[in-house]
Amino acid sequence: MAQGRKGRLNYRCPRCLMREIDMDMLYDKDKDEYYCLRCSFTGSEQEVLRLNAQFREKYRDRMKRITDF
Amino acid sequence: MSDFYVTIIHRPEMVPEYIQKEAEQGKKEDLTRSEVLRESLNIFRTQQQAAHDNGLRTTIQMTYASLFNEEATAIAKDHHEKYGDEIGSTFLGLQCQEFREKFKSKELAIWLFPIDAKRRIVDEVFGKFYEVFGFHPTSTGSYYMDAELVNYIKERYPMVKVAVATCWEEGPKAYWNANNSWYTLMDGGPWNPWIPSKRNIHCPASDKEDDIGIVAIPHLSRDLLAVFDGPGSYYGTHPQNILRGMVYEDRESPYFKNIVDQYRSMAKYNRGYSYNMMFVGPGWMSKKGRWEADYDFLLKSYSDGMAYYGQLKKEGKAIDVTMSEFADIYRRDRPYTRPECTLWKDILYGSNRQQFWYVDPWMRFCLDMNQGGAMIDLRPYAAKLIRPCGVGTKAMQDASYPFLVQSLYRAGFFTHYAGEGAVKSCKLSCEGEEVDLCTCRTTASFSEDGDTRVVTLDPVTIEFSERSIQMQSIFRLAEGTGEVKIVRRIIDTTDPQAEIAIDEYITACYGTTEYPEDLTGVQLSLKGTDKSEAIDYAYQCREAAVERVRLAEVLVPQVDTRLTMRTDTDDAAGYFREGFAFSPMYTIGIKRKVKGKGELRTWLKIEKAS
Repeated sequence: MAQGRKGRLNYRCPRCLMREIDMDMLYDKDKDEYYCLRCSFTGSEQEVLRLNAQFREKYRDRMKRITDF
Repeated sequence: MSDFYVTIIHRPEMVPEYIQKEAEQGKKEDLTRSEVLRESLNIFRTQQQAAHDNGLRTTIQMTYASLFNEEATAIAKDHHEKYGDEIGSTFLGLQCQEFREKFKSKELAIWLFPIDAKRRIVDEVFGKFYEVFGFHPTSTGSYYMDAELVNYIKERYPMVKVAVATCWEEGPKAYWNANNSWYTLMDGGPWNPWIPSKRNIHCPASDKEDDIGIVAIPHLSRDLLAVFDGPGSYYGTHPQNILRGMVYEDRESPYFKNIVDQYRSMAKYNRGYSYNMMFVGPGWMSKKGRWEADYDFLLKSYSDGMAYYGQLKKEGKAIDVTMSEFADIYRRDRPYTRPECTLWKDILYGSNRQQFWYVDPWMRFCLDMNQGGAMIDLRPYAAKLIRPCGVGTKAMQDASYPFLVQSLYRAGFFTHYAGEGAVKSCKLSCEGEEVDLCTCRTTASFSEDGDTRVVTLDPVTIEFSERSIQMQSIFRLAEGTGEVKIVRRIIDTTDPQAEIAIDEYITACYGTTEYPEDLTGVQLSLKGTDKSEAIDYAYQCREAAVERVRLAEVLVPQVDTRLTMRTDTDDAAGYFREGFAFSPMYTIGIKRKVKGKGELRTWLKIEKAS
């Protein structure tokens, strides 16, 4: 197994992020996948990005400019 | 007329924690690594330029490490002369080779050193600052500064008038968010500037004698709803925090402007005054990117934020001030008893939820309109607890101000199958049916009646099987009394003959974290016109009630607090309820039966017990 290293942009574990824990993942270049030391998540960059997009969905007003206070 | 003040703070942090961590991947620690020093200084320059390009002045808080860097000190002097920036000092960024040699410690948090070391560090930092600049700073700060530290600074350096003194609601939530490795345990303070008490930095001073001598500023202006139930480092006037929270889409985030505008709107709750601060350390703008954002995105978010403040200034809607200038302005019109309040609305989740936040020298509390105006956070500031932190103290890393109610740490209305959670609310009952206002979502409006702030909730409909009633709640906060008057009024009913019981109650505990504390020693008592009852808490599920109650009281010696409820009617009953080990709470309440329409008025008071 290859030594785990910090990957591009220090992706956080998307599963830990779902429970608001910022946990940087390590990258295994042999398998071309990221993995989490805490929750056992493994996944490709594409999978991480997909889950990150899902994480953002809770912010229903993330693109809404609100000026009425 | 309203004034929105903005302070922009930058610090040349020569060895920022994030950049240093990245640089040392696979290498041994080296605090003098030249690429780190160079990058950090470049980021500081970029931040300063972003402010100046938008016509904004800054407060440059020199770190101890930067005082040894000629380039950093030269930039500070130059920008002070050219742009009118203030040169202050910060206790962040202590770590550097010189500090290691002098103090033999890797500790990075000034508030966690033993008190004698805190004093030596203050003298060293201020002494070095004087050596470099020829004067002492009037502004300083850290993520947290306990009262003992600030008292020492004021004694030795009386010219200091302002400090970044806490991070709002950075407590257990920030700790979890950082994989239980970030020791900023400092919940329980005000969200906007305040004049702290000499006894505890979180508490606003009661009077001149209690005044610690500085104006305190919380680190960042944070989303009062999102941060109460989420990481502080996701939601505030820190553009890279917002990227960390991933509140964006396609590299755009209107959320920053929404936070700023909601803070601007606080003028209507606070006699025409509102405030914002932005304070981003260079470590957040690493060239390597951070939080899934590349450097260009980090820079864009910072530039966008600064541009918005600049735009507001150009439009005459914001006044940029340095920290020390702000302190003078703040003190000019700030009676000690004046509260800070805000009816905050959700700008993130699309829920229309509102929470009302209140701070004065007696208490801090939060009402949640999503739960019928239930009090979901209550901090007894009147106790002014002397609670130093750091090595050698009982509190150690736990710098939070204790709560009596924190509904997220201690369950609130919803518990799993057994027991009770900490919340203050009201129950309505009729012929064996009972409804808690926690289940009645509503919204509220704010008004003022002289020196009384009034929160009026929109009426809610409570449906019993045979009848329904319209119920309204009003909270009246008379300045300088330390009391909350709560009116529960039945304004309409489908059955004028039905007898309805209005039960105003508070279920509470004490603590600073989600874990229970020992309630042994707490005293519950009732004083009625004809009868009194009292017990010492012993987890025995005891209950008592007294007709024609005058006062229901809890004494919590662990936090030197007396909590009382009273009413102005002579036909109400008072009660208390002891908990048990699986439900470590106490409850006091006042109950009144009305026929048709009617109301119950109660007063909640927080006092220092001793």
